[in-house]
Amino acid sequence: MIQLQDIEKVYRTKTIETVALNRVNLHVERGEFVSIMGPSGCGKSTLLNIMGLLDDPSSGQVIIDGQPVKTHSDKQLARLRNEKIGFVFQSYHLIHDLSVVDNVELPLLYRNVSAIERRKRALAALEKVGLSARTKHFPSQLSGGQRQRVAIARALAGQPEIILADEPTGNLDSVMGDEIMDILLRLNQEEGTTIVMVTHDENMALKTNRLVRFFDGQQVADSRLVEAQI
Amino acid sequence: MIRHLFKLIWNRKKSNFLLITEMFFSFMVLFAVISFVLYNYHNYKKPLGINYQNVWQLSFRSNADSMGQSKAIQEQMMQRLKSFPEVEAASLAHNNVPFSFSSWSMGVSYGNKESVQTNNYEVQDAYKDVFQLSVDQGRWFGPQDAAALHASVVINQVLKDRLFGEEEALGKQIKVDDSTSYTVVGVMPHYRADSEFAEEEPALFRRINLEKAKPDQLYASLLIKVKPGTGVVFEEKMVKDLSRIAKDWTIEVTTLEKMRQSKSKLTWVPMVAMGVVCGFLIFNVALGLFGVLWYNINRRYSEIGLRRALGATTRQIRNQFVGEVLVMATFGLLLGLLLAAQFPLLHVFQLSAEIYWQGIGAAALLIFLLAIVCAVYPSWQAAKIHPAVALHEE
Repeated sequence: MIQLQDIEKVYRTKTIETVALNRVNLHVERGEFVSIMGPSGCGKSTLLNIMGLLDDPSSGQVIIDGQPVKTHSDKQLARLRNEKIGFVFQSYHLIHDLSVVDNVELPLLYRNVSAIERRKRALAALEKVGLSARTKHFPSQLSGGQRQRVAIARALAGQPEIILADEPTGNLDSVMGDEIMDILLRLNQEEGTTIVMVTHDENMALKTNRLVRFFDGQQVADSRLVEAQI
Repeated sequence: MIRHLFKLIWNRKKSNFLLITEMFFSFMVLFAVISFVLYNYHNYKKPLGINYQNVWQLSFRSNADSMGQSKAIQEQMMQRLKSFPEVEAASLAHNNVPFSFSSWSMGVSYGNKESVQTNNYEVQDAYKDVFQLSVDQGRWFGPQDAAALHASVVINQVLKDRLFGEEEALGKQIKVDDSTSYTVVGVMPHYRADSEFAEEEPALFRRINLEKAKPDQLYASLLIKVKPGTGVVFEEKMVKDLSRIAKDWTIEVTTLEKMRQSKSKLTWVPMVAMGVVCGFLIFNVALGLFGVLWYNINRRYSEIGLRRALGATTRQIRNQFVGEVLVMATFGLLLGLLLAAQFPLLHVFQLSAEIYWQGIGAAALLIFLLAIVCAVYPSWQAAKIHPAVALHEE
């Protein structure tokens, strides 16, 4: 599904060169739930950005569904992000001036989908995350857990094959974190959605079926875990 | 997407209120200035109906001792003027000559219709030649009018339309100041003598019959058409000769061209001043708009990153920010339109509705242009923001 081949990411300034990722090779299979762990600054988020086509590697290539994306135009990359990938962020990234349902509709705005269809899909996504009663609310009227559920619904509305989640439970207490994790696990197991999740939480990572560890920009471990449990 | 932009701006109406208000006021100022300029331009384009080239005005003031001989002196002056080969035509008139600051208006009525306030001109037969006037219905005055039962008048089309509408005017009796009856013998298509920028007003010409005038009748102005190229040398000679006839009278000569210029100044000087003030205002609005957009984009870094992550292309990001500004401009314009539309609907200042609608259209277009110009660079900057970097901004 997603292949990273010899990925390097180097940030250069006039005086300093920082290697964020060093020759990373990773193959995420369709339907996998992969968690990525490592200390802060080890390159986890950079990796997720490169996987999500939000950033270009300094060298190496990203292959999605067998297609290298190196030569893709801005428009082609945007289309891939829109149709194949759903993002969930630690800090939710909801637009405060839009209602819950309008936030969830956002990915569909960049597709040729009618307003009625957009609304239908957004409401269905909200139902999946148990927020049908909050569609007209604004993000400021929701708790952290609810906001993250809205963000997940937004990712689901576009019916992506892959969800990239960057510390989705990082800002939540353990109860709410478990709720979010349950939703992600259900998505993976019931709908076969491929999920790549960056986390600091070992317990959350152990619930997934593959754990990749990073240190100083290098992949140091890749272990298959027992079947994920909800 | 447009619906989304409207929703976004509407939900942010509190923070966008000042910007929308600024757009509204800019629109109103532009609408006022453009309507004023258009009004003057429309008038400027209309025919004057007179040819003022090589026309001089001789204005004179008699002294008290010679008041009783005014008529005789004016007759002698006319004869002397006609004898100059440089003079092609000459006519006595009152001071309300074209482009002067004098006017003489009277109520003119026909039948039971309401009296029309009309500019009144008393002129001689040669006035037509001085200004090369054209009469498209009927005729100009002539010696045959001296014996008419009711004195003859020539009117302009504006007065004809107001008094008679579609009806024929020639031969009809009209009353001036509800007493004296006059017969309309001619209709001129145009006579616009106040200023090049002024609207054409009703005009009525009465014939001066110097032979029948009282001995102390003074007309105060003499208009002459001189041959092209006639200059100061002739002017000095003429004034010298006329001063011999009209001893102790003060005679001043000016050209109609100079009078036209000074009258025009009354319009274009304020027009330019308003334009400059308006220009500064728009420049300030543009700076404000630019600053606010710049600030908004910096404030919305993470939103830009999010939109890119969700599938927006750089072009869509750029279009979104330009679109938002256009939506704000539309909100401001809608408010302005509500107010501005009252002007043509209620015929405020008696200007034609066409001018107001054109003013509204041009002002709206300028506001949109201004919004686009101010939005393009910040939007371009927004589109350039790297999504991975933007997503880390909070």
